Formats: sequence, C-alpha cells, structure tokens
Amino acid sequence: MTRLLRAESRKLWTIWSSYVIFLIVVLIDLLFGFLVAFAPGGRHRGTAGLVPHGSTQWFVNVFSVLDNSRLLALVLGVLVITGEYRHKTVTPTFLAEPRRGRVVTAKLGVSFGAGLLLGVVTMLTGLVIGFVLVAVGVHSCLSLAGVSQGMSQATCAGQGVLHHYYVANTHDMWHEWSQIAPGVILGTGLFAVYGLGLGALLKNQIVAIVVGLGFTLVVESIIVAVWPTIGKYLPGQAATALENAARTSFSASSTPLLSWWEGAIILVIYGVVLSYLGTVTTLRSDIT
Amino acid sequence: MPTIQARGLTKRFGADVLAVDHLDFDAIPGGVTGFLGPNGAGKTTTLRMVLGLVTPTSGTVLVDGLRYRDLPHPTNRVGASLEASGFHPARTARNHLKIIATMAGLPFSRVEECLDLVGLSEVGDRKVGGFSLGMRQRLELARSLLGKPDILVLDEPANGLDPQGIAWLRDFLRFYATEKAPSAGDGRIVIVSSHLLSEAQLIVDDVIVLNAGRLAAQGRLSDLLAGTKRSVRVRTPDADRLVQALRAANLPAVMQDGYVVCEGVTPEQVGPVMVENRIEVHEMESSTESLESLFFSLTGGESAQPGPTAPMGDYRRFNDGPAAPSAPPPAVVSAAPSPAAGPATDGSAAGSATAGPAAGSAAAGSEAPPAPSPAAGPRPGGGQT
Repeated sequence: MTRLLRAESRKLWTIWSSYVIFLIVVLIDLLFGFLVAFAPGGRHRGTAGLVPHGSTQWFVNVFSVLDNSRLLALVLGVLVITGEYRHKTVTPTFLAEPRRGRVVTAKLGVSFGAGLLLGVVTMLTGLVIGFVLVAVGVHSCLSLAGVSQGMSQATCAGQGVLHHYYVANTHDMWHEWSQIAPGVILGTGLFAVYGLGLGALLKNQIVAIVVGLGFTLVVESIIVAVWPTIGKYLPGQAATALENAARTSFSASSTPLLSWWEGAIILVIYGVVLSYLGTVTTLRSDIT
Repeated sequence: MPTIQARGLTKRFGADVLAVDHLDFDAIPGGVTGFLGPNGAGKTTTLRMVLGLVTPTSGTVLVDGLRYRDLPHPTNRVGASLEASGFHPARTARNHLKIIATMAGLPFSRVEECLDLVGLSEVGDRKVGGFSLGMRQRLELARSLLGKPDILVLDEPANGLDPQGIAWLRDFLRFYATEKAPSAGDGRIVIVSSHLLSEAQLIVDDVIVLNAGRLAAQGRLSDLLAGTKRSVRVRTPDADRLVQALRAANLPAVMQDGYVVCEGVTPEQVGPVMVENRIEVHEMESSTESLESLFFSLTGGESAQPGPTAPMGDYRRFNDGPAAPSAPPPAVVSAAPSPAAGPATDGSAAGSATAGPAAGSAAAGSEAPPAPSPAAGPRPGGGQT
C-alpha cells in the first residue's frame, strides 16, 4: 500500500492541473477575502451592511469565505480518479495493480492528503489577508474613513498608542483565524475524499464535476432551505458544521448544524461509501 | 516456465455481440506467437481478458496457473502494451515510467535502462502529449519491459514505427523470446497481435488465428504452411517440351505468363524430369503459400460479424458516379470514363473535374447512387488463394 500511495502521489504531482488547482484556490481566496472586506454593502451569512474595519466581525466575515476552497478540493478529488479514465492511464494502472479496490484506497489517501494541503494553503492565504486587514484597520483609525465607518478618533486614541491598537487587532485576527483553521483544513481534506467518491461512481470527468458542484452549490442550498433537518446531513452543511466547531464569535447561522465531529463522520461516510460503491460497480466494469 | 492457458474463454458484450466464443489456446514459450485475425475477430478482447482488464462471461484464462489479478507481482511476470494510448499528455515520459516502477517496487535505474533501450532517454523529460505515434509505441514497450517479465503481450506494437523501428522490434522480440533467462527456462512467451501479415510472417514462429471469436488455427507457422499448397515455377526456352514431359510423368503443368507452373509439387519432383529430358533452365522458383493466403483460407476472407467488419466495397466502381453534378466543365464530361475504363482513368478524371480528389470522393460518397453490393466484387486478396 505504501508503494501505491507513493505512486498515486507521484501521479498527482507530475501534472500541471494539480498545481493549477492550488493556484486557483489562492486567487479565489484573495479575491473573495478582499471583496467581502471592502465591498460596500457586502453581506455574508446574514450580516448586512458595512462592518467596521478592524472589528472582530470583520475578520469573522472575511475568514468565512475561505471555505469556498472545498469546492476546488472536490474537483481535485474528482480529477484524481476520472483523469485515469479520461486519458486511459487506467489501463497501465490496473495492469500494474489489478486489485482495483487497492488502487481506489490509495487514491482515497492521496486525495485526503492533497485536500488537507489545499486547506493549509487556503488558511495561509487567509493569514496573509488577515495581516493586510490589520494594516488597513490601523490606517482607517488614523483617517477620516475610520470615523465614517463607525470608529471614532476617540476610540482609537482610547487605545492609547497606535501600537496598542495594532496588537489588539492582530490578537483578534489571530484568535478568529486559529478558531476557524482546523475546521476549514479538515473540511477541505474530506471534501477531496467526497470528490473522489463521486468520481469513482460516475467515472466521467465532466459529469462528476458538474454533479459535484451543482449539488453542493444549488441542490444542497435548496434542500437546506426547505428541509433544514435533512439538509444538515448533506456534505456542504456537514463541512460548515466542522468549520464552525470552535468559533465562539460566529452566531449568524440560522440553520441547524451538526456538531463538528458528527459533521466529520458524515463527510468520511460520504467519501468512503461513494468510493466503495464506485469500486464494486463502475470500477469493476471492463476496461476496453 | 511461463504459461498462458485459455479454456472455454467466452466474452459476450450485451445480448447481441459474442466477441469471443469458447476459445482454448496455450501460448508456447521460446518463440514469438502471432495473434492474428481480421478486425472484430476478438483479438483485443481476448488479450484484455488475459490481462484481467475484461472479465470473461465464462471460461478461464490463467497466467502461470493464476488469474492475472491473483498474480503477486504482475509487472514482474507480465509486460503488456495494448495500444499507444494510456498516457497523460501533460506528464513526461520519464515520470510515466517512474509511476509504474513505483507501483511495482522497481528501482528508477530500471526506468533509465528501459528508456535507453527504446531510444527515448533524450526526450524522457518531454511531455508525452508532444510524442508521435512511434514514440508512444516505444514508450509503451519500455513500460512493458520495466519488470523484466517472462511474458510479453503486445497489441499491434509495430503500428507507427518507422522501417528501422520495425526491423529493430523484429530482432528484439526474437532475442527476448529465445533468451534463456533463469526464470524462464526454455525461453519466454511473446505474444504479438498484428494485422500486417507480411510483417508478422517475418516475426512469428507460432500463430494463433482467431476468426469471429473462435480459434481458427494454432501451431507452428512452418507446420501450418507446410500443409498448404506449394508450387514450382520454371522459365525455359523449351516450355512446350517441358509441359509434355511433366504431364507424361503425371505432374500437373500449365503455361502461365511465360512460365511453366506446377501446382502441388516439390522441386524434387520437377528436377529429375528436366534432367532426364535435357531441358535448359533459366529460372526455377519454389514457393509455399504465404501467411496471408493461409490467413484468408482460414478466415474465409471475411468476418461473420456485421457492421464495420463487413467486406469492403468495390473500389473500382467507387468514382463511377457523378462526382460534381452541379456544373462539370464540358471538356471533362466528354472525357468522362466509360464503364469499361480502368481505375486510373477514373481517378484522374474525378480529380480534374473537381477542386481535388478529396472533394470528388466526398461528393461521390453523398450523392452517388448506392454503392455496389460488396458481393459483386472480388475481395482484396481473395484471388490469391
């Protein structure tokens, strides 16, 4: 199994599309992070209107968009298995390891690892955004813009020296970041496993990506809105539960969520059950 | 000693297509085995069943007495290349081989050896997407050889290779099959499927011929050919006298294109007659049937499967229809081929009447009257049997 894991990892890191996914994740994180931070009238998860720069809620809102990375993790997981069928590399793969279930298991492990790494990259990007926001907050404090956004010069002055403000703001940012990071990283990793399961079952790359993204972005939102008691068991909500596990300052969610460990277990079940079904159905079929 | 054994091997695709039908065969080590058959005969399906990629509907095929999927180290036992595909276009050749080497637990030095052998080490770091068909074939061969397997299964390995490449492959396969490796004893099993019969005749020692999913023949090529028609051709100024002398000796003899031709006899039978009658000989040639004619006699020159494997149409009448009915230049109309005109005339007339031969064929395909019945014309090669 060690050989298979190493081979699968080599497969992943010898094609450019894997690196492109990481690049897209960084770009999307930067784009959405700053958009939420500075877009006038931007709203996110029930918080309407402008949020004062430098406030805890500001960081909460900005870090909350980082979970979009799990959509790319899903795509990564789908690619890990459907790419083999698309380029017919599945033939040499199954010639070298005819026990197909073992190949899928190795892919499961490698997808999870790559997904975790994607989560780590996401959170590091988030940290960069966080430090920029702290700097902006300090700047706002010194300017009239800060006043117009709810911070009075007196508030700033009340912090004593500017340095003090900076330290406090950094502490808020760091606190918020460290509360969300584990959930986002684990959720991203498990979403890659979920993607692998989808790919194993559906085999066709385009179909698997469309189904995966379409379900997460559209179908799941509808189900969550209509039947929240069922919706909380769906992958996206399970990942949100995981992400919000340790967040004390986050209370905007109006829909019921599972506890973080329930969310994690649900996601593992999705990935493993779909992969298993794929292995005993789709992958058992003839390679012609 | 390596073995491949198929017993009652059957594969059905859906309800209608019986691709392989109760096939029994044994691969023979120490020589190159040609796996031959017309399109749709079930060659590729059979090879894929040997390699565990396709599950038989019934029957078994065992490699070293085991199903392929039960082999503990398949890469070290069997090397297989099925088609010049199965590469990620964005991955380099070297990485492609390293992945398989990693799966099989082989050192990367083996990757370099195999790249060297097929002459790809210089381009090993280039992406396979930019490779020609011939380079992909070499890469496939390199991948098959990674584990120094005692069984080599190659589907159309000569496809896309240049003449030097084909000659090299021929020599290599002969060497590889007969090499007395410690693990192989009497030599290795090398199975090569091919549709180029003249090429295959140069490479193979044994043949397994499939037709419509069934075994049509199996054995030493030389044995199979020995059982078929042979003939002797003689060129002599005394042709008439020789024919009479041969007939007097109860040997069949006819005049053909200025040669005296004796079907079904050996030179040993013709020679004494010529000496006895003191007949001057300018040329004498003995021929056995070629693999190609053997192949046609075994497979009936056609496949039992309908559709794309039905006999092809009569090309001599292909361009008879109006190639460009809209506004053909008068000069060409007057020069239009009569039904009796030869194929060369047809081709040139159609070529000059339209923008180009391609346009002519396309128009003929869509607007010409229905193609002549396949049965109307002789099949390619059919006249030789």
